[in-house]
Amino acid sequence: MKNKDKGTAKSISIRSMNKFFQAVHVLKDLSLEVQAGEFLVLLGPSGCGKSTALRLIAGLESISSGELFIGETNVTNVLPKYRDIAMVFQSYALYPHKTVAENIGFPLKMAKTPKADIDTAVLAAAQQVELGDYLERFPGQLSGGQRQRVALARAIIRRPSVFLMDEPLSNLDAKLRGNMRAELKYMQSKLGVTMIYVTHDQIEAMTLAHRVAVLKDGTLQQLGTPKEVYSNPANLFVAGFMGSPPMNFISGAIDNESFTTKGVKLPLPGAPKSNQVTLGFRPEDCRIVKAGSGAMDAEVYTAELTGDQVLVTLQLHGSQIVSRMPKEFEIGDTQIAGIEVDARHLYLFDSESGLRITADSTR
Amino acid sequence: MTKPAARRSLFEPPDIGQMATATKIVLYTVLLAWSAFVLFPIYWLIITSFKTIAAVNQGPYFLPWIDFEPSLHAWKELFVNDYRDTFRAYFNSIVISLSATALAILVGSMAAYALSRVKFAPNLITILYFVGLLALTGVAVGIYDVDWRVAAATAIALFFFLARAIGRLYQLRLQNGDILFWIISQRILAPIVVVVPIYMMFQSVRLLDTHLAIILTYTVINLPVVVWLMYDFFNSIPRDLEESAQLDGATMIGIFREIILPLSRAGLAATTLLVVILCWNEYLLALFLSTNKAQTMPILVAAMNAGERGILWWTMSAVIMIMIIPVVIMAILLQKYIAKGILVGAVKG
Amino acid sequence: MQTSRVSEWLDRHMGRLFLMPAVVLILVFSIFPLVASLIIAFARIRLTGGGFSVRFVGLRNFEKQFFGSEQFHLLGTFTDISVIGLLFGLLATLGLIWWMVLYVRAHFSVVGFLGRMITFLMALGLAWLFSATLLSGNLFGTLGTTLFYVFVGCGIQFLIGTALAYACSFQFRGTTSFRVIFFVPMMITPIGVGYIFRMMADTTKGPFSGVWQWVGLGEFAWASDPWAARIFIVVADSWQWIPFVFIMLLAAFESVPRDFTEAAELDGANAWQKFTEITWPHVLPVAATVMLIRVIEAFKIVDLPNIMTSGGPGIATESVSLQSYFAWRSLDLGQASAIAYVLLFVTVIICVSFFNLVVLARVRKAS
Repeated sequence: MKNKDKGTAKSISIRSMNKFFQAVHVLKDLSLEVQAGEFLVLLGPSGCGKSTALRLIAGLESISSGELFIGETNVTNVLPKYRDIAMVFQSYALYPHKTVAENIGFPLKMAKTPKADIDTAVLAAAQQVELGDYLERFPGQLSGGQRQRVALARAIIRRPSVFLMDEPLSNLDAKLRGNMRAELKYMQSKLGVTMIYVTHDQIEAMTLAHRVAVLKDGTLQQLGTPKEVYSNPANLFVAGFMGSPPMNFISGAIDNESFTTKGVKLPLPGAPKSNQVTLGFRPEDCRIVKAGSGAMDAEVYTAELTGDQVLVTLQLHGSQIVSRMPKEFEIGDTQIAGIEVDARHLYLFDSESGLRITADSTR
Repeated sequence: MTKPAARRSLFEPPDIGQMATATKIVLYTVLLAWSAFVLFPIYWLIITSFKTIAAVNQGPYFLPWIDFEPSLHAWKELFVNDYRDTFRAYFNSIVISLSATALAILVGSMAAYALSRVKFAPNLITILYFVGLLALTGVAVGIYDVDWRVAAATAIALFFFLARAIGRLYQLRLQNGDILFWIISQRILAPIVVVVPIYMMFQSVRLLDTHLAIILTYTVINLPVVVWLMYDFFNSIPRDLEESAQLDGATMIGIFREIILPLSRAGLAATTLLVVILCWNEYLLALFLSTNKAQTMPILVAAMNAGERGILWWTMSAVIMIMIIPVVIMAILLQKYIAKGILVGAVKG
Repeated sequence: MQTSRVSEWLDRHMGRLFLMPAVVLILVFSIFPLVASLIIAFARIRLTGGGFSVRFVGLRNFEKQFFGSEQFHLLGTFTDISVIGLLFGLLATLGLIWWMVLYVRAHFSVVGFLGRMITFLMALGLAWLFSATLLSGNLFGTLGTTLFYVFVGCGIQFLIGTALAYACSFQFRGTTSFRVIFFVPMMITPIGVGYIFRMMADTTKGPFSGVWQWVGLGEFAWASDPWAARIFIVVADSWQWIPFVFIMLLAAFESVPRDFTEAAELDGANAWQKFTEITWPHVLPVAATVMLIRVIEAFKIVDLPNIMTSGGPGIATESVSLQSYFAWRSLDLGQASAIAYVLLFVTVIICVSFFNLVVLARVRKAS
């Protein structure tokens, strides 16, 4: 019985995929191997090409060059309906003139399934997403979360081998989003399908993914587990994109195995000499101390109590540095404060290329 | 309620959100006067159809039962004495209008949908080549008496033989917008320009004075209207719905039937009404293409002009009334869609 | 596997298959006749039993219309041009040249220049036609009559339709019923409108005969006076088509976001300023499109003149379409096609000019 729920998950192989819209190169040489049953998140800011990548996999846009395999089959030029893919859209794409039951049953109706089979399948799928009582309603009469579930039920009813989701949670309010996130993760593991999920929200990526692919301007920046991507970013962009509040950056130079900029000198044993580097550290890896006693001094800008913590923003040479302090922390009327950084969690990047520079001290 | 009643002049609004009394008076006067201008001719039409010959000829009488005694003799003449002509023309008009509208809506909305969703890039040179061949064939058949089968076969062979080569030589591609403009611009053609060749065409295949000839002609005449209105309507439907259906295994026909048409009900209703009215009232083409059997209502009405007894105003009024009634009924039935449908077309176009 | 290949091919080419019927229908019933009509316009055609014989006569058909025995019919009669006519013609010429100069000075492109040149020549020709016939006290032909119907008729319909639509766009008691009433004439068949207005205009038995007697026009037969007849046709045409302008512009007026007018009100605009500064610019693109449609349809006018006056008195109310129809009825197909082509030529140039210079100019400015 349990096994019947599981579709036959298939792997996806993307090989040097490119996409041009007229002269605009929106997806540059993307190569990805997605394992069967894996939950992969495509993460990036808007306009980075992540939605285009998803639409190429679905077959809604044609691939300019490169190849796409689902399972063992080359589907590069196959029409979407033959790819055995289900997709949940950001807008849910529910048909407003069809009831919930008709919406959920639509894929089966298109496959010319007998009416009785459709009815049982619809009921089963609806119960799976707890919509059993709403089958006769129209989408317009449902709340945002319920619409989301209808879209989900419509996707799972076919037991597709691949699931695609395009920012499915972005139209929900914050609280509901948290609940749906958990449900999605549970459902994916229960159904055992391959899932490619597009989002710009790094928290969704962190919580949902087995692996995260970070994209920027159509180029893959880093592919790895959420933990890898967070604690071992490949470049400046990934480092700045993951984490909230984001990583702090200070630009300077490396001289004599230490990072220097105006008023700051931080020893970094093993770091190669360089004129233009950016030093990064996360808000949770630095502390506010008395002026003069930390690695650097900075001007206090604001302190915000978020409930479980205090975010202190400071200004150093025009750039802002945020430190995450325990909720008991009080800044008082301090004008200048010192910042103490955890030497084990420093990141060094080449300012020009953005690439990570590894030194003994920065792993 | 407790607000102090301010005394204001005629030219100031008595309360926030209201109109000044003077404005109101002017507005109502103008609108009522226009209503009278619109309604009076119709009122006159209705009462004339119930007047006796004497009541019409002896000068203006305005009020039934007071000025004159209403009589049904005009209606009797229409439905009893001349019932054959009346019913045939009425039947013809209904068959022709409904078939032509159905065909125009089907063909037109399919084309509009394709234009709004699929990218086309036809080669202009190939098209010009095609039209040139068409013209040459026309000249050959029409003027030099070449057998039309020979001419058509030659033209088709020539087209397929050279089209690719010519198309490859010159790449001047059209876009969807150009095709759309081409279709819509057909509406500029006054029917009088094309009606003579159409007449000769139907004459040569012996289809003159048949329903089919008029239906086909009306369909083409109204295609631009359908394409124009429905194109805007389809464009306002979000693409997500179709993409989702595509992934769910629907074909283009399935999407069109299951999703697009049901979602365009308002637009379809407004367009249908408009096209039915245009077909129902069409006069010039029917004048050319129907002589007797396929005669439509406008031709019947116009022909009543030529009677020996002068114009029989009473019968004429009755005929015009039965022409108006179905349109009014349709308008009332489709009323709730029309406002919506026209809005999209008008405001976006 | 075989069936899936067929269905996949269908899926890939369905877009073309969707478009194809419309294109084929238009090619067969619109483009082919258009080409054939041009061929016929250069020929003399005799209908024989079941078929027809063709003899090419070159430009003879057009020559007859423009310079020969039918000149009075299409264009009008030309005798000496009057002083006013000369003055108007010169003024119009100067104005048009000035318009071209302004364009060339501001921004020049070959396509734009050629397009404006065509508009320029057409406007010049029509201006001189106007001064040589009407302004010189001569009769004008069907072309002049058609243009009278188009410009005067559409002008009236535009003004009244817009005014009524604006009045009905406010919220007050009774708007809905006014809307329904104003829409009614559009549903009445044009043939019917023709007869109804013949009844209305009857000076002895019509409803207004009392009024006619009273002003001393009891014996006046409007159908025998050229201008009275033309004006009556315009009135009937307007009665029928004002509802179209009304309903389209009403939709446009109602689509103006209330935020805009309310913001203007707070900024101290009075009613007139609100209309000219906020509402009208918003509605203008729709108004231009609506008028384009109206002008296109107005050029085709044929049923009203045929029903109300049969083109009379003389040829005073005959439109170009009607003239072509009469030529066809006398079995002169070559002339009929030539006349129709003149109409097509004038319509296309005027409508395309209007589209490019008014409708598209707005769109370009907005984007």
